[in-house]
Amino acid sequence: MESKSTLPDWASKPCIMGIDEAGRGPVLGPMVYGCLYCARSYEKTLSTLNFADSKTLKEEKRENLFENLKANELLGWAVDVIDPRELSAKMLKKIKINLNEISHDSASGLVTRVLNMGVFLTEVYVDTVGDPEKYRIKLSERFPSIKFVVAKKADSLYPVVSGASIVAKVTRDRALRDWVLDETAENMTRNFGSGYPGDPETKAWLQQHQHSVFGFPTLVRFSWGTCTAYSKNMVEVVWESDKTEEDGSSSSSGKRQLKLSSFGVTTSKRKNEEEIESSGKSRCKFFQARKLEHLANF
Amino acid sequence: MGLDANSKAGTIGAINQKISETVPNLTGKVHLLPCCIKYDGPSAVSHYFKPKPTGLEMEGMKVEEACFRGRKLQGARLPIPNGYSGFVIRKQSPGKRKASDMSEDNTWEVAAKFENITYWNHDSLPSKDDAFVRSLHLLSVAEALHKPVTAEDLASASIDMEKN
Repeated sequence: MESKSTLPDWASKPCIMGIDEAGRGPVLGPMVYGCLYCARSYEKTLSTLNFADSKTLKEEKRENLFENLKANELLGWAVDVIDPRELSAKMLKKIKINLNEISHDSASGLVTRVLNMGVFLTEVYVDTVGDPEKYRIKLSERFPSIKFVVAKKADSLYPVVSGASIVAKVTRDRALRDWVLDETAENMTRNFGSGYPGDPETKAWLQQHQHSVFGFPTLVRFSWGTCTAYSKNMVEVVWESDKTEEDGSSSSSGKRQLKLSSFGVTTSKRKNEEEIESSGKSRCKFFQARKLEHLANF
Repeated sequence: MGLDANSKAGTIGAINQKISETVPNLTGKVHLLPCCIKYDGPSAVSHYFKPKPTGLEMEGMKVEEACFRGRKLQGARLPIPNGYSGFVIRKQSPGKRKASDMSEDNTWEVAAKFENITYWNHDSLPSKDDAFVRSLHLLSVAEALHKPVTAEDLASASIDMEKN
């Protein structure tokens, strides 16, 4: 990730850091965690730099502020860009990881990274995700040497968090602006809009880029509720891993089940059956263990 | 589960094994996903489904990564075992046969062939313990059970018997 590589002298003095996120709500694109840190003695000057909650600033102003803080040798920063593919995959795992957990891990990851660079962090200000007190305890347990301040609207309360919100927001906007779609189908556009589910441009883009089999391009966070509205236009997909969960049986890989019709052997009768696995039931153990079924009709 | 008379006996079908030279070769393009997609028909697979090598190797299998409907898949490409080939078969179009044959028509023809298959797991690395990999054991078991017994086999078997 981009960040300053040589450690400045001030970093070995007590430092403060702010952490904020951008792109948590949008249905598409990466979620970005950003942090900004400086010597505690610089805190007063920081409040004169006109950092404000990035959402209240115009894009151009944000870009300027980001360029200024990058050029300022008394400030350090880092980002963690979480790819939408990773967000979807984690939230749709067999054992699902929710967005709060992903957020907490990303913030902790930034703290770890900055500590490993040799920065002497003493206080870290974090915009909360979920319950502030629980989050503060979680962070304090992971990093006992640091004092954490976790608050709602930290991005407008603490200039160091405002700065972090600018780092995160500008990085997210640039990532989306420069996004290269994985998919190579024709007629794909990059008019994503902001990515917020309510944005008419985003809605129009989702509408145009839905696909009956594949759903959406991987830029989209499939785990978002917004996507469910489109599922009626899409072919149903039944996952073996969901099935095993419903059965309450183990989800270990050794017990994965296989459907013979996935080899292309489907008849109208089989297709209507909800069973998606071959059971190998009432056959000898060899077949049972391998989920091999005797197929008499095809 | 009730079986009607037909299913007890099994259906009689024939596969026309004639393979024309123009039959498409799908080697490298056959994927077995850990889900049932309730759709039969063409789709822009190569535009949307983009497996990538991970550089990881599990039990001799090169692990690939892809996503489908937002889920992360990890898979490996397996060759069709020696002595076997992979075919996509389809029902021979009734147009080719007389109307009187229709009732008993269950003839299949080769639509495509392939020499390997990539199977995918949701959320777990491919392993030799996966049911699909293990299901291929049937082929060697079947061979051992069904291959003709030679005079040498019989001789060595009877020597073993005497030893015991």
